[in-house]
Amino acid sequence: MSLPILIQAVLTPIVLAPIVYLAGRRLSHHVGWLAFAILIHSTAMILMVAGSEYLEVYSWVPRMGWDIGFKLDGLSLPFALNIAVLSTVIAVYSIPYMEHRIGDRPGEYGSYYALYLLYAAGMLGAVLATDLVEFYIFYELMLIPSYLLIARWGYGERERIAFMYFLWTHIGALALLASIVAVYWVTGATSIEVVKTILRNTRIPFQLEAGMATAMLVGFLVKMAVLGLHVWLPHAHAEAPTPISALLSPAMIGIGGYGVIRIALSFFPRFFTAYSLPIALWAFLTMLYGGLMALSQDDIKRLLAYSSISQMGYLLFGISSVNMLGVSGSILHYLSHGLGKGILFMIAGILIMQTELRSISRMGGLASKMPLTALSTLIGFLTLIGLPTTSGFISEWMIFGGVIRSSLASGSMDKLIVAILGLLATMLTAGYGLWTVRRVFFGSIPKHLEEVREGSVIALTPIIALAILTFVIGVYPAPILDRLTQTVMLSLNLG
Amino acid sequence: MMEAWLCWLTPICGALLTPILARLGHKVRDYGAVVFSLLAALFASRLIPIAVEGKIIWERYGWMPIPGAPVYVGVLVDPLSVIMANVVSWISFLIMLYSLEYMHGEPGLTRYWFLMNFFIGNMLLLVLSDNLLQMFFGWEGVGLCSYGLIGFWYRDDRKYWVGTPPDEYPPSHSGMKAFITTRMGDVGMLVAMLAIYSYSGTFSIPELQSNTMWASTLMESGLLTPILLLMLLGPIGKSAQFPLHEWLPEAMAGPTSVSALIHAATMVKAGVYLVARIAIIAASLTHIIGFESFHTFFIVVAWIGGFTAFLAATQAMVARELKKVLAYSTISQIGYMMLALGAAGITANFVEGLTAGIFHLVSHAVFKASLFLASGAVLHVCETKYMDEMGGLRKYMPVTFTSMLIAALSLSGVPPLLGFWSKEAVLKVCFETGDVALFVLSAATAAITFFYSLRMISITFLYPKSKHLEELEAEGLHIHEVSPIMWIPYCLLAFSTLILGVLGRLVEEFFHESLSHIIAAGHLEAVVESHGVGFDPSIASLLASVSALVIGGLPGYWFYVARRGDPYSIVEGSVILKAVWRFLWNRWYINRLYYILFVNIPISLAKIMNRWIEVGFFNGLQYGVSLITLRLAILVDRFMEVGFFNNLQYGVAELIARICRSSRYLQTGSLNINMYQVSIILIIILLILLVSMGVL
Repeated sequence: MSLPILIQAVLTPIVLAPIVYLAGRRLSHHVGWLAFAILIHSTAMILMVAGSEYLEVYSWVPRMGWDIGFKLDGLSLPFALNIAVLSTVIAVYSIPYMEHRIGDRPGEYGSYYALYLLYAAGMLGAVLATDLVEFYIFYELMLIPSYLLIARWGYGERERIAFMYFLWTHIGALALLASIVAVYWVTGATSIEVVKTILRNTRIPFQLEAGMATAMLVGFLVKMAVLGLHVWLPHAHAEAPTPISALLSPAMIGIGGYGVIRIALSFFPRFFTAYSLPIALWAFLTMLYGGLMALSQDDIKRLLAYSSISQMGYLLFGISSVNMLGVSGSILHYLSHGLGKGILFMIAGILIMQTELRSISRMGGLASKMPLTALSTLIGFLTLIGLPTTSGFISEWMIFGGVIRSSLASGSMDKLIVAILGLLATMLTAGYGLWTVRRVFFGSIPKHLEEVREGSVIALTPIIALAILTFVIGVYPAPILDRLTQTVMLSLNLG
Repeated sequence: MMEAWLCWLTPICGALLTPILARLGHKVRDYGAVVFSLLAALFASRLIPIAVEGKIIWERYGWMPIPGAPVYVGVLVDPLSVIMANVVSWISFLIMLYSLEYMHGEPGLTRYWFLMNFFIGNMLLLVLSDNLLQMFFGWEGVGLCSYGLIGFWYRDDRKYWVGTPPDEYPPSHSGMKAFITTRMGDVGMLVAMLAIYSYSGTFSIPELQSNTMWASTLMESGLLTPILLLMLLGPIGKSAQFPLHEWLPEAMAGPTSVSALIHAATMVKAGVYLVARIAIIAASLTHIIGFESFHTFFIVVAWIGGFTAFLAATQAMVARELKKVLAYSTISQIGYMMLALGAAGITANFVEGLTAGIFHLVSHAVFKASLFLASGAVLHVCETKYMDEMGGLRKYMPVTFTSMLIAALSLSGVPPLLGFWSKEAVLKVCFETGDVALFVLSAATAAITFFYSLRMISITFLYPKSKHLEELEAEGLHIHEVSPIMWIPYCLLAFSTLILGVLGRLVEEFFHESLSHIIAAGHLEAVVESHGVGFDPSIASLLASVSALVIGGLPGYWFYVARRGDPYSIVEGSVILKAVWRFLWNRWYINRLYYILFVNIPISLAKIMNRWIEVGFFNGLQYGVSLITLRLAILVDRFMEVGFFNNLQYGVAELIARICRSSRYLQTGSLNINMYQVSIILIIILLILLVSMGVL
């Protein structure tokens, strides 16, 4: 029996959430530091065992054979790391932001941070889970607090949008549940490893496999908001309170991608190989569509939301290669996108705090007023564009390298063309990214913005921390890459 | 080989230290930045012995552990990279020196020095890399610096705009345009790199040369030429070749020192360098898969180069802005380099073609950097970007005039300056391809080059003083020569184009000698017969050079130096000439077309899609579905809930009520009726008893 470390990382925030709620009445917005301390503890727990593969299993419902387990391996490490780091730094960022948003209603800080902790723990639990039922519970656990967070502190028609968000993702989750039930019915097991072994060693009819895989894929792709299943995302991510947007986009939706890789792909590799081209095409269309939509937005948070749709297309694109390079690239891209988009959403929040504006067309010339913000925005977009020395490049070259390799290996010209088109779609990222930077930060300053000042230190520090991280991974990715590629190769049997 | 690593690491460290040095004071920051670039140059010159000896040194360490196909970080020190590194670092150093004075007092200098040093480091990384992926880091790094430095004056004050209305662009727009246009080429390059990587499992240049499997596999699947052409897109973008050349004229929005360093002497040569590397790889593969397999690729390279040279030169003839003339000229001269490299592959005489290309690269770097720096001085003094608002500067700025004249003559290929030798070498290899059209095109370009050079020098220095300058003087501004720290760098460069020019043949010999070490020994020198039309290529190219000088020089002298005719009135007077002028002035309408295709159409498309597909269709669908669900619920409510279930419930209740109503007389309490009931029940009990006892 290994030491209870990962379970601490997940359960401590859940257990302490009520205490944070109660403390909020006394501490007002300072309770954010308490949440920060709790999440630091979770991050530390994860880093403590990040050195090698780590597994904890606890018996849960013995009669059904349900265990509750937490596993940190090369595959879940980038996800867990991203979630832990983002939720920790955004807890700090929330302090000035929610002070701006909530103002002097001290009672609300406690419930905000309590829900925030539940939300973070839900995400962390989902990527560490070793059992399908456990995974499903955490998957839903991240939905409910985020629903409440949007409904309560969001903008615009927040209640209606939160409801829409809930319905969409819940429908996705139900599709997932259906296929989990089907898998249980076929294999009689719920442990991911056991199910995988059984499915690999038994020949089940392809149609059955395709049915289960499709249901599962759709379930996860709603969360990833790929084209056609994306309707909820721009509303939810644009109108959520900005720190929550900075968790929704960079951390949460990518968990759909984690599910596709850890569960769907490892259960049904035949399905993915057979439908590689349609999936690649779907991914490409998502990249293109998200990019074009981002190009046409004036609201900065909406622009970032569409950009997330486009970036989830990259994730799916890498998965469609069904080889080690592409899938590893996708996983790394979750991390790169998390860092880049985390930076950008927090920047959007700073702009809201400092200028009270969200409309890009009403901004301009802010670089001289807010140099650090301008620089960080550029770094954020360059990470999305995939410029070398940011982590975005490492993940992008691996994704496209994987797709090109798989198309050359299969001799499929169509796929090679889709790969080239996919790379061309990255031009759109450069287009909307640099254009936004130019419209917000360059040029002359409009009259109504002459009094704008740089964001506060507490708000900028988390952004700079993420910016440094993107360069560190971009220049020296070996520590993460080493274990990631090994795990992808061994646990998914990909070459 | 510590020097090679330090060579590119030093400026990058210098860049990262800039914000810290800035805290210690402006002087420390400025001089510190220059010192770092000097160190890089010194490290680069330590590598020269390797080039002279023709050695190749290759070092690498692990970087990205991709199972089966690991990626390394390394340096490749061979004559080509050493030549490039020295050109880059020494010219960079001179330009950094010049910047001390030129940029003095500008706001945002920390940013300037950071980006300049970061640029130098990335450029050196690019040329010293041993593998394509690492090279791509440098490649994009220099692109980023270019973006940042073109848009250095990001506040977009009117005086920093480039162009003439209506085609006038602010710096921040120009930087973005440069980044996105070059990025388009990089996409192709990335596809090609990744495809080669998929086949060979390596990005390493020496390994690609020695391991031939990838090339033969690619050739068998018919993908070799497409992949190489995709690869070519990168150099086309970075080196501003047709069709991705439109970013470079706008890049002139940056400070002139930046134009000199990035958009004339170094970064735009990165594409040439990469094509040279491809040529070397091709040369070492020819004994396996034959040089014919690369034929199409090199023909494309040669024609893109030749055509771009001509295209840009014609635009330089009509440009109004001093820096724009130089920008078009840069595009045109890089075209020559590409042409030479293309010819190398067509004739399979790789050493000679490579020599011509790289020789011209070096000579162009020297004279064009000099020209740009001098023009920066002129712009500084005149406070205008238009040549026709200058004039008469010969008297006021004699040093600058002399320097610029020498450099411009070198650009035109006037003997015995360096430009003459390098251009002649290019024309010679071009002639050897046997492609007459290409040769005529490049000779015509040479003529045009001399024409626009004379025009530029005359309008700027020899014409009578313009109104604008007189106004400036009336305002009390004294037009004067710039300070030595500014003119020393460009005079030094102009002087070296003269000295090296006198030694012309020897310099060419040196390049030939050292570059031939890289091309695998025993390769097919002149296996292909010279396609020359019975002419000695050397004589043909000499003839072409001289006649180009005459053809371009005479009208140039007639109109602009001697001013015997007024070119403006001649053009105005003729419909055809006017049309030609307009065509050239509008950059062959390519720029306009690109804005429509790549800016207006995507943005309108995005807006239309947002309106009809996103809001109209997807959101509409979602609302539609929820609306239908709601309506359905209402219908169910009306017909099922109210219509059926409620009615059923009422019906049942009614029935029961009716039964009760009809039986309520049973409960009236009237004794008569009760007695009837008792009698009936007694009778029933009696009957049951009788039946059960068997009586009935």
